[in-house]
Amino acid sequence: MNIRIALASLLAATTLATSVSAQTLTVITAGDTNMVDYINDYLGPKFEEGHPGVTVRAVGTGPGDGGSQAIYEKIHAQKDKSVWDVDVAVVHQRMAGKMVEEKLLANYRDGVATSKLVTRKTAENALGVNVSGYVMPMFHSQIAIAYNPDVIANPPQSYDELAKWVKENPGKFGYNGITGGMAGVGFVFGWMYAFSGMADEIRNGPWADGAADKWAPALASLRDFNQSVMMTPGNAGTLDAMNRGEIAMGPVWMDMFYTWVADGRLNPNLKLMILSPGMPGQPMYYTVPAKSSQPDLAKEFIAFATSPAVQADGIVRRFNWFPGIDPQNVKSELTDAEWQRLFADVTPETLAERGWSMPQAKYFAAILEAYEKNVAK
Amino acid sequence: MWPGVLLIAPALTAIALLYALPLLRSLITAFVGEDGHPTLGNLAKALEFYGADIVYSILVALGSLALIAFVSIAIAGYLTLGQSRWAVPLLRWIYRWPLFIPFIVAGQTARSFLARNGVLNTLLTDVGLVDAATATSLLDWRGLVLTFAWKQIPFVTLLLAGAMASLDRSTIEAARNLGAGRLRCLIEIVLPQVRPQLLVALVLSLVTIMSVLSVPVMLISGNPTMMTAMMAHRVTFYGDYAVANALGLFSYLLTAVAAWAYLRMSLREKSN
Repeated sequence: MNIRIALASLLAATTLATSVSAQTLTVITAGDTNMVDYINDYLGPKFEEGHPGVTVRAVGTGPGDGGSQAIYEKIHAQKDKSVWDVDVAVVHQRMAGKMVEEKLLANYRDGVATSKLVTRKTAENALGVNVSGYVMPMFHSQIAIAYNPDVIANPPQSYDELAKWVKENPGKFGYNGITGGMAGVGFVFGWMYAFSGMADEIRNGPWADGAADKWAPALASLRDFNQSVMMTPGNAGTLDAMNRGEIAMGPVWMDMFYTWVADGRLNPNLKLMILSPGMPGQPMYYTVPAKSSQPDLAKEFIAFATSPAVQADGIVRRFNWFPGIDPQNVKSELTDAEWQRLFADVTPETLAERGWSMPQAKYFAAILEAYEKNVAK
Repeated sequence: MWPGVLLIAPALTAIALLYALPLLRSLITAFVGEDGHPTLGNLAKALEFYGADIVYSILVALGSLALIAFVSIAIAGYLTLGQSRWAVPLLRWIYRWPLFIPFIVAGQTARSFLARNGVLNTLLTDVGLVDAATATSLLDWRGLVLTFAWKQIPFVTLLLAGAMASLDRSTIEAARNLGAGRLRCLIEIVLPQVRPQLLVALVLSLVTIMSVLSVPVMLISGNPTMMTAMMAHRVTFYGDYAVANALGLFSYLLTAVAAWAYLRMSLREKSN
């Protein structure tokens, strides 16, 4: 009897779910809660206005590459089914490459009206994997160095100068190592770009076995560097330590920095700069799974999300990210003040020169492991 | 027999599917290499990369348990043997508060409380006990021990005070009549009688401490740190469940040893 009731209710629930999904666009996103909020509070309602009867439902899978990993696992698990329960997936670069290689994503970009507005190289290449056609960048975020100009009038401009500077000012630079967030990870990648002597290979591949053996000097100098810096617990930990005046410099995500300043959580006098030769940044991508149940609706959603108006109002104005499409297309939608603010500390020229990509996927993992083995211990 | 089996079937299925199966899977994954063949490579890698973190986790857990035991015995003892009309009820009312605060909140609070320029050091500087220039951050093993203790003391005290309250008061009163001080009474009369409950509470606390992820992630920068943080790290950055599960194996072993020691002790006590 109980079993019958259970079966009946299960059946009812399934029918209900199917009938609802006819009008529900399921967007699954990696990233912090702000990504879910962005879709639920901003993008979803706006899209629903133009598409009566459609409900946009956002599911978050958690911050960082771990969030993208969860999306990959969810989609991979239903690989053999005819229809998947995800219509749009927002993922990081590394997982986008892997999913394209495993044929889990649809080649959809040509069918999207805004595809011609995309100019960044990352729309074609994700950490060494050709993803052209499979992704649209949602935004670009960049790692930079935040510093307190009241303490340091002329901050070091390169990794070389920084290494000397921390020797003279021990404990005044802080970062989170490679745990607790990508700001520290990105700082370490930049260090390897500067000192490994193989910056091009690391970013563009091809992967060479035994590459890590050549990194000994760079890692030894990083280990030495770490003796004079303060280790912080995570991205936010670096900003907290700057707020409390414990450190005067540290790597941060530019968007997180601007958001904290806008919220009044960070000393507004702090400034940003990017060390030469370069520090990494990354986009997040809108993708459509290969067996989405509503590919056309998904494309419309992405076209809407990458339109100049939404990129200006949602991505730049609300979240302080750099737009995913070419910024020139967004400029007309922003006031001069807003445009200036976006590039206040870091000029577009510096960003173009020093805003580098993340390492190619295999180097990405190899650098982290080499750090754990040689630097962290 | 069948109705009985049917009755427990839902519970049994839930345990099998939600507990035994994942546990088994994680144990197996720890011994499977990338090529699908059995290997000890994951364990070796876990030891090579995170050996220091394993030792650190054990030491932090033991340190926390020592502090927890000491403070809980003191509080529960005072609740049982104290005579003040206002201090005992006040303490009874106040000691449970941390029970209702999630670990992540405790971690966040500790993070701003124990930092170098945090609330604690600022207070100590204001009253002149610490010099601001030489103040150090407590966000290391000390922060972990303090946070774990702060969260677990109420739990252990709750069990311990309950056990003490249900003791036969006549033994305590007899000892008091013969001139034993309250401290001596606590150590020689009360504690030996509640030792099993204290051990259960400490074993449960050990399991909790070994499984908390939020506190080490929020307090500890770099390595060494607790095993949980490194397990999450393996999964987040490498998608490497094998080494994460190998690390998990070490935490199972540690908690299993504690559980085994406890079972042995309680069996011996029963047979006596």
